[in-house]
Amino acid sequence: MADLSGASLAELQRWFQAAIMSPDRSAAAPADASTVITASTRQYPAERLAVYRRGYRLRLLECLRASFPALCHLLGRDLFDAFADDYLDACPSRSYTLFRVGERFAEHLERTRPDRDQPRAEREAWVDLMVDLARFERVFAEVYHGQGTETGAVLSTADLPVDTDPAWPKLTLRPAPCLRLVTTRYPVHGYAAAIARGATAELPRAQMAVLAVHRHAYTVVITELTPPADRLLAALLSGETVAAAATTAGISPAPAQPWIRGWVEAGLFTACAPRPDPKTSARNGSLSQPCRAPA
Amino acid sequence: MKQLGLPALGFGVGLRAPHYGYVLDQQPAVDWFEVISENYLDSGGYPRYALDRVAERYPVVLHGVSLSIGSTDPLDFDYLHQLRRLADAVGAAWVSDHVCWTGVAGCNTHDLLPIPLTEAALVHVAHRVRIVQDFLERPLVLENPTTYVGFTASVMSECEFLARLATDADCGLLLDVNNVYVSAVNNEFDPDAYLDGLPYERVVQIHLAGHTDAGTHLVDTHDRPVIPAVWELYAKALRLAGPVSTLLEWDDQLPAFPRLQAELALARQHAHQVARESAVVGAHSG
Repeated sequence: MADLSGASLAELQRWFQAAIMSPDRSAAAPADASTVITASTRQYPAERLAVYRRGYRLRLLECLRASFPALCHLLGRDLFDAFADDYLDACPSRSYTLFRVGERFAEHLERTRPDRDQPRAEREAWVDLMVDLARFERVFAEVYHGQGTETGAVLSTADLPVDTDPAWPKLTLRPAPCLRLVTTRYPVHGYAAAIARGATAELPRAQMAVLAVHRHAYTVVITELTPPADRLLAALLSGETVAAAATTAGISPAPAQPWIRGWVEAGLFTACAPRPDPKTSARNGSLSQPCRAPA
Repeated sequence: MKQLGLPALGFGVGLRAPHYGYVLDQQPAVDWFEVISENYLDSGGYPRYALDRVAERYPVVLHGVSLSIGSTDPLDFDYLHQLRRLADAVGAAWVSDHVCWTGVAGCNTHDLLPIPLTEAALVHVAHRVRIVQDFLERPLVLENPTTYVGFTASVMSECEFLARLATDADCGLLLDVNNVYVSAVNNEFDPDAYLDGLPYERVVQIHLAGHTDAGTHLVDTHDRPVIPAVWELYAKALRLAGPVSTLLEWDDQLPAFPRLQAELALARQHAHQVARESAVVGAHSG
């Protein structure tokens, strides 16, 4: 038992933090609590310290439940809390904001999955579902809270070259800051949406899904992509030209153009380069800018 | 009394996400809003949009929970930079946080942890407050947190610590009268004596909230109305301080916004009663 009666402020704080963050939830409080904490009429020092231990754990568990409502629904409160407890022990918060408490939860679930040493084909499906849901809910939150295009520049279809313009193959597009591509082994977005509506949700069946997650007018928009569309969009996001991206996607540039127009219309991009010739752009020589602020 | 040259904003409530729609649509009759700084520092989404709209119509105060002014970890200047930028952007009337620490060794417990009330801690905190005020280029207003423990190392009362801190660091105080009550029960001190010991020329703001009785101690839950004993402390604080910006905090079991306004109306009634009493006393003594 250490005597901390003459400890410095730094020593006291390290001791206090270790006591309240201890993964050992079977112990009420460290044995040396009475050398640091005074008793009250109604509580021993260890019991008083335990108020902070419970408060720390409960606050962050509530934060994670609120951050992953669909996963919490899927697992049930007790099982969710067990996973969350394990996560908080392994990855204590190091950020000033509660928003980032859950940022490594999906990664932690994947890294610590009980079947991690099994060949991929022999792993348990429910773990995949759980990890996918955690990853999707985190991306959703990041898109909702992150930088968007509501107050900045956004590319319009009027800023794109006309379909016959020879500039198309060399065109590159700058993605909106709120655009994310998510690949899941289960279509968890439907499940999460149902839970958010308070509706009854059936467990999704295993089926690969690629989702474009972005935000429009402060609302998160989910678009399911076909495999070639996914490959095309991913290549464009990596900075490839339309021609190179089409090659990567295994399609010819011409069919890519309607998809790109659709994505531009949906607000997935903020700029394009090179700037189209005003004589041939869809704006047809008006006072065009490659980017425009929304009305 | 105009504390630290900062304005008396009147009667406000803490802005919480479930009320964004109501506040933006109805523009309710409250004098000002307090927001939790950390909820907006990184936000580029709807919460920040809502805050910007609110700040166009109401005075806004930034109330932080992660400054960790009492920690022995280095100050986080990335955090302070973001805080200053947000304060400038929304024209914050002032910036507040708590006399506490939230973590060491790079961790954040996201709890308002107690500081041993020692001479060394006082010097440490006052030094950091001065640095933060210089960086933010505005006064820092610090709140008495709820405490659930006392330290064997403490050599002074909490109100003495706060009074000396405010003077030594030349900062403001946010007096949470619910926290005074909760801490007084938990740590068995006299809340009236606590209020008598504060330097009211530095009390810029008062917090009101509800709490929960856990049997062996009280918990600062912000989930119910203010109890009569806390209203009495509020009235006493107003008698000592004069008109002070007053803010109702309600976080859990959050009711519809008009319920908060009804609670705020009680605060106005207490303030008016205290003002009438003061006027009568002033007339008699004059």
